[in-house]
Amino acid sequence: MRWEVKVPPTADGALQVTVRSWNRAVGDTVTQGADLVEAKTEKITLYVTAPADGTLAEITIAAGQKARVGDVIGYVEGDG
Amino acid sequence: MGSGYWLDLGLLPYAPAFAIQKRLFEALTTGRLPATIILQENPPTFTIGRDGSQANILAAPSQLAALGIEVVEVTRGGDVTYHGPGQIVASPLLYLGTVGLNANQYLHRLEDVLIGVLAGYGLSAGKLAGYPGVWLNGSKIGAVGIAVRNGYTFHGLSLNVTVDLMPFDLINPCGVPKMPVTSLARALGRDVPLAEARGWLRRVLGSAFGLELLDISWPDLEASLP
Repeated sequence: MRWEVKVPPTADGALQVTVRSWNRAVGDTVTQGADLVEAKTEKITLYVTAPADGTLAEITIAAGQKARVGDVIGYVEGDG
Repeated sequence: MGSGYWLDLGLLPYAPAFAIQKRLFEALTTGRLPATIILQENPPTFTIGRDGSQANILAAPSQLAALGIEVVEVTRGGDVTYHGPGQIVASPLLYLGTVGLNANQYLHRLEDVLIGVLAGYGLSAGKLAGYPGVWLNGSKIGAVGIAVRNGYTFHGLSLNVTVDLMPFDLINPCGVPKMPVTSLARALGRDVPLAEARGWLRRVLGSAFGLELLDISWPDLEASLP
């Protein structure tokens, strides 16, 4: 099953966040609830956690790029 | 009106204070802790946020050592700032869903809290577009910098009450060269008891987030944690 990694609704929908870093690479194992992505707006650090146990399958918004609330920034493949 | 904890850690170096904050954040996110506002005062410390760099510390390590200023890299947003005795640092650990705010709205609400505290002293502080924090007559008097994970907040705000402002000359505060800073004591031209300022902050924070804040000590809270 494919799980979306999304910019969480706790960011302002009108603002773009910048993806600062992914702490896993495509192919790495991820654990549900563990920090996966660090994103930021000015004065706010957003820690985006893995939606499920599995493997980081795809990064669609890479470090240095911008995204909005609800944007899919990657995918985790796993059983959930 | 919900209820939460007011936890005053007193004067504590940044690292052990943040270790406590991390433990409490874990308890918060697993439903074992209500909303908690952590208060602290730090010994002289420059903190570098996730947007910051050592390049915004202008003094050499030897100078900092001579002055007794520690440098710590931290997980909040923002650049470099100074924490020291006479500055109140408050870290509300909250669930944004409960207070009905997104992260950016919450950041602005913290700024509103600082403005409310300063209004209590008869001072008309405000915000400056493009420069987060709270400003009084062109000088920064309060700072904000937060982190959010799964809708739960940590880090928060600081308010200069009686803090020595000289160390701000040794950094580009928030990455801004020669950014003017001030304090409540400087603005009022008199000493301000820290307990009094904390009392104002407690009332305004409680009101801003709909919380009745109950005192708890760290030993008592620690005893209740897993």
